[in-house]
Amino acid sequence: MTTRRTMLIGSSAFAAGAMLGMPAALGQAKPRVVVIGGGAGGATAAKYIAKDSQGAIEVVLVEPKDSFVTCFHSNLYLGGFKTFEEITHKYDKLVSNYGIRHVRQMASAIDRDKKQVVLADGTRIDYARVVISPGIDLKYDSVPGWGKEHEEVMPHAWMAGPQTQLLRKQLDAVKDGGTIVMIAPPNPYRCPPGPYERVSMMAHQLKASGRTKSKIFVLDPKESFSKQGLFQQGWERHYPGMVEWLGPKVHDGIKSVDPKTMTVTTGFETYTGCALVNVIPAQMAGKIARDAGLANQSGFCPVDAENMRSTIDPNIYVLGDASIAGDMPKSAFSANSQAKVAALMVRGELINARTFPARYANTCWSLIAPDDTVKVGGRYEPKPDKITAAETFVSKTDENAEYRKQIQAENVGWYSGIIADMFS
Amino acid sequence: MARGGKAKPMQGFRIHLASMLLALVCAQAASASNTTKGDKAFGEYLSSLCVTCHQITGRATGGIPPIIAWPDDQFIAVMNSYRNKDRENLVMRNIAAPLTDEEIAALAAYFGSLPYQPAP
Repeated sequence: MTTRRTMLIGSSAFAAGAMLGMPAALGQAKPRVVVIGGGAGGATAAKYIAKDSQGAIEVVLVEPKDSFVTCFHSNLYLGGFKTFEEITHKYDKLVSNYGIRHVRQMASAIDRDKKQVVLADGTRIDYARVVISPGIDLKYDSVPGWGKEHEEVMPHAWMAGPQTQLLRKQLDAVKDGGTIVMIAPPNPYRCPPGPYERVSMMAHQLKASGRTKSKIFVLDPKESFSKQGLFQQGWERHYPGMVEWLGPKVHDGIKSVDPKTMTVTTGFETYTGCALVNVIPAQMAGKIARDAGLANQSGFCPVDAENMRSTIDPNIYVLGDASIAGDMPKSAFSANSQAKVAALMVRGELINARTFPARYANTCWSLIAPDDTVKVGGRYEPKPDKITAAETFVSKTDENAEYRKQIQAENVGWYSGIIADMFS
Repeated sequence: MARGGKAKPMQGFRIHLASMLLALVCAQAASASNTTKGDKAFGEYLSSLCVTCHQITGRATGGIPPIIAWPDDQFIAVMNSYRNKDRENLVMRNIAAPLTDEEIAALAAYFGSLPYQPAP
């Protein structure tokens, strides 16, 4: 048993062993945790397990990229408040400061029977526990007429990276008077206030460059959305006549999208010759989690509210957007909070570290216009059926400008804080 | 008759309430001047909720202040002000609300022990 735990097996085991710098000696007793995905959940979990176990647990982070572009604050890039470099962060300090082994490959599967993670090149890594935080996959078939092959024409930009830059480029090219359509996603999805902060940032860019005759139509499959009153008040205040939000009863459903003619047809209206169409489709847990059988019929992964452990496999923890975290929204803050709970429980299981009852928190800040930021958040606790909101809060519509400016300063400070918490 | 019948229990209730309030005030005063050192290890665990925003290096950006290397009594007083909802900040009030005196003291001990690490 001891030998199995320490060995890498598979076609390129020898090469991979050398690459990972792993001792091939038999009898090594150190338990190994494989973390899949280097986002807010995975990077935080890897860091906290490695940092707090002080070498007693071997942590392997499986993440193909050498740096992470944050989806959070990518709207601020769109609005011209941040550069792309400012939302891009390297993993190198996780390696140098905490001894985490960063494997630059996609994890292609989890062999739960053999307790091995299979990499894209076929290499297998034995694990004592897996922490998986793969984020979301898009349901490319959820918007009629739109699919993966159209994402360069009608970007989603819901996974930060080249898509985010493409959306910015398309926004910059919109002529004054141009029509922008955003197709908002149905619940549940990553970053509940995100689409509406994005609309705000698009409107800001248009206004700042004198393109105030342009108009943004938000076609929403939902009857209501996060911070709705705050956003709608903000749009009226800062961008009068430039943003129109339409709920499902008003637009009567998205009937079709035609990327060739840049047309969006709803039950009531046809938007032709659009200058920009941003399609944010329905979502589900990242493929590897679904392929490993960790998701239920909802497409997301059920977890134990006490510790983020999969209710399907006790050796696997699921974090962040891929998990069904009860009342917690799918956000970076939530994933970071869940990661620390899971990290503690993993240490408790593997090296008998002292554990404490789970505490979860979240706050989401949204920028509506320069120095006009609102927030929503809460404290969450495990209950037998789900992670449950203990107390929540949300900004009010009557807050003054000075106060909103302070909230933006908080937003900026939080970003630096969570980046330091994840990566250094 | 009904009023007369309720008068005595109400008086009793008032006295009870007054003594409870007094006890509460005393407890608040005790916690505000609490000089017992908190459990640093427990504080480190609890700190995971704080360090999503506040950096353990003591570096600060924007509107999130550094919270390391403070005297314990100051840290405790500030946290009490959020817990009692005397001080304005939705996030801090929310985080502080469920914390016990022991937990706040533990956080004070942990953050108070951290040295400032300037940016490289």
